[in-house]
Amino acid sequence: MICSVLLWTERAGAQDTLQLDFSRPVNGLDIRHQLSVFTGEATPATAAALPFGKDTSIFHTRKKLLHRQNDCWLRLTIRNTGPVDSVLYLFAGWQEQLRFYAQNTSGELQLLSSAGMMMYEPDADRWDRYAFPIHVPAGQVRTFFLHLTNPYYRENELMPVLYDAIHYAQFRNREANLYKAEVLVIQIVIGMLLVLLSITIINYVQLPDKPSMYFSVYLLGLILFFCLRLETKPYQLSFFHRLPLLKYYWDVPALIGCFYFMSMLFGSAFLNLRERFPLMARYYLYSNIFYAGCILACFVSMAMGNFILPGEIFTWATFASLIPFGISFIALGRRMRHHPLIRFFLYGSLSLYILSIWSFLRNTEPVPFTPLPELVYPYMLLVVGVLLQSLSYAAGLSYRNKLVHQEKTRTQELLIKQLNKNKELQRKLNEQLEELVREQTTEIVRRKTELEEQRKLQMEAEYSKKFAEIELKAIRAQINPHFIFNCLNSIQLFVMQRDYEHAQKYLSDFSYLIRKTLDFSRRNFISLADEITYLNTYLGLEKMRFEQKMSYEILMDPTLNTAELEVPAMLLQPYVENAVKHGMNNEEHTTGQLTIRFTMIAHDMLECLVEDNGIGIERSRQLRTLPGHHQSSGMEISFNRAELLNKMYNTGIQIEIIDKSTRKTQDSGTIVKVLIPQL
Amino acid sequence: MIRAVIIDDERNSRDIISLMLQRYCPDIEAVAQAGNCREGIAQIREQRPQLVFLDLEMPDGTGFDVLTGAYDSTFETIFVTAFEKRYLHTIRFSEVELILKPIDRESLQQAVQAVRQRLGSPGRQERYDVLLHNFGKTTRDVHQIVIPLSGGGEFVASVENIAYVEGGTDKTLFSLSNGDLLQSRRPFRYYTELFAGMRFYQVNNHQMVQLPHIHHIDHDRLQLHLHNQSVLDITERRKRELASVWRQQA
Repeated sequence: MICSVLLWTERAGAQDTLQLDFSRPVNGLDIRHQLSVFTGEATPATAAALPFGKDTSIFHTRKKLLHRQNDCWLRLTIRNTGPVDSVLYLFAGWQEQLRFYAQNTSGELQLLSSAGMMMYEPDADRWDRYAFPIHVPAGQVRTFFLHLTNPYYRENELMPVLYDAIHYAQFRNREANLYKAEVLVIQIVIGMLLVLLSITIINYVQLPDKPSMYFSVYLLGLILFFCLRLETKPYQLSFFHRLPLLKYYWDVPALIGCFYFMSMLFGSAFLNLRERFPLMARYYLYSNIFYAGCILACFVSMAMGNFILPGEIFTWATFASLIPFGISFIALGRRMRHHPLIRFFLYGSLSLYILSIWSFLRNTEPVPFTPLPELVYPYMLLVVGVLLQSLSYAAGLSYRNKLVHQEKTRTQELLIKQLNKNKELQRKLNEQLEELVREQTTEIVRRKTELEEQRKLQMEAEYSKKFAEIELKAIRAQINPHFIFNCLNSIQLFVMQRDYEHAQKYLSDFSYLIRKTLDFSRRNFISLADEITYLNTYLGLEKMRFEQKMSYEILMDPTLNTAELEVPAMLLQPYVENAVKHGMNNEEHTTGQLTIRFTMIAHDMLECLVEDNGIGIERSRQLRTLPGHHQSSGMEISFNRAELLNKMYNTGIQIEIIDKSTRKTQDSGTIVKVLIPQL
Repeated sequence: MIRAVIIDDERNSRDIISLMLQRYCPDIEAVAQAGNCREGIAQIREQRPQLVFLDLEMPDGTGFDVLTGAYDSTFETIFVTAFEKRYLHTIRFSEVELILKPIDRESLQQAVQAVRQRLGSPGRQERYDVLLHNFGKTTRDVHQIVIPLSGGGEFVASVENIAYVEGGTDKTLFSLSNGDLLQSRRPFRYYTELFAGMRFYQVNNHQMVQLPHIHHIDHDRLQLHLHNQSVLDITERRKRELASVWRQQA
């Protein structure tokens, strides 16, 4: 009321100079009619001389669509009719670029301050700069110029009003509160989009695929877009006020980029159109090329300072795409049954499509039907559309992930089934193999055992055969057949000479010897007493044969317990026989001297020495290598027998044959040393 | 009277030979005795005996050493040994007399009788050549053999050349590699013993073949074809054994 009253009162007296009492309250005083206007380019130097006129048509109380850059100069001549020097504030709307000049006394324009959406002044109260202080001393007249430049396609309310300090503060509060609601909505949207972005990025990290990536880019674009929307809300917190031009650059490109370019890219990848719907894929591809061109054109035009063209491009591109989009939606809709994902894409796209058309239709701004969100009010519907679209896409993605997961699970199940089958097969095979191996192993083991048994038997047979052979040989060797028959021969002689006493004696001795030989050859060990008796008898018979050609003695330790000590049966006999034979071979002695000695050299070791004075083993061996001389097998057999006994009974019988000449050069003969451990 | 020298390293043995000669062969006079080879050769040279009783093993050599040493003297030899395996075949191949201790009257008289017959007949040298040839050969397969022919006289053959031996009634037929046939006075059993352990194989109860002379075995007709064109029958039982023995030997 006050305002209208003031407006009416001032208009009456207003011609060129605004008469105002600065000390009285001024609350939003409309000074449209008091302002002189010049539209066109001018510099501050020439501004004073411009042909200003009255033109209220450039003012508007709502947003306005511009088709060309608005460049105008406003001139205000004001007189302080009040009694005190005071300041009023001129506010001409939230414009893109405003420069405020004062005309000094010499008529030159002096820049007082500047403000604008497109400008950045490193100043704390950047929004307060839009209210230009009009300082007029009491009773004086001052002229101010306001230069407005708006290259943008949208112009905010251009309504010059005056406030005193108190009412300006009230106005500011009002404005701040007014925009708070919008900012809140935007912040909620940003928050939601951020949440979606986070989820999508997390999903993308888990399962990198193209649709998630495109959706992330789409969300990022929208988030940036909405963040930049905050820039246009006076008195509110914002992020990018240091880059005032960014919100213009990321206005139309963001719209085309997100709602068309990324949306279609996303749809194409999301629905896998290239495989499922190649025609549509191609259609989207061409559209995208077109939109990419549009985006590029926008950037180029803005870089060249033209911010109008992007608006035009967007308007026409949107109009041009309405029907093709509709067709594509219908085409997709017809395929919805075959592809569950289409639903999500279609719902998302359609919700934005329909809600945006609806919001354009229901636009309260007095502009012709336009798709430019800058000019749509309230654009809540649009925001809802955006949100619905993002949510639908996100839901689609998650559903897709679910499908992929399901597919994966199914494949895995199949794989597991196949693996199980394989495992089963492998198990069966293994079993068969194992059985085969077991059978063969058993067979092999059986054969091995058989072979071993056979070998054992063979070995045993061989062993016993060998043993029997040696035993037999022992009998033969130990009692030389020569000896037997020669003995008999000798006895025969006594008979023929009728020396029956000798014949009787030797015959009984001979019988004893033969009996003992047969007896001992079956036994492995006999007592030393038996052995000594045996040797004594044997040597007695030899003495009968050779008479004075040989002599012998058997010496033993008197402490020797001959009945207890055990010696291998007739082991010594061959050595004794050899000693008899070789003892008589030495031409240096007429008598072969034979000595047999038994001594205990340790408490459990019996030493038997058989010594002769023959030519010695070495010479004897040399002679034997001459042809016609046979190898003495008796000693060899005794040696073998000792070895066999050692093996069979673990006795450590040692036999050593020493040539006496190796001890003393002038000595001759052989010593056989037999060591018999007593167990 | 036949003059004899007794060579033996045991006095008892010499005594008993001379005693037995006195008692059972009064036409033999033991003119000298010797206790070893050296002495024996000397006595032979000195006494020029017609007969030598020779022990095989003496302290300074063997009976062969004595024969070699007195090679130029002509005398018949009777080997006297207590137990001899090694030289038994060598001596038997040459048909030189051998008696074993303790000496019994019959074998002594038989041997002396054989010597008595030989003393007037030729062929003495061949026997001793064969004896000395065989002595020193390690394998009997390359021995020579004196075959006493049924018609009288003796034939010296290489054992290698005997293709097969066939027994008749107490006589034995020798088929040589060149196809010659000889008849020995000795029975077939004598030769089976003599040739035991050699390359002979008895294909049936009266024929014994020397394996290298087999050309081939006719398995179907059970016949044995020899290199000298002879054909022997073979028993079914022995065929397989012969085949394997023959293959082994070849």
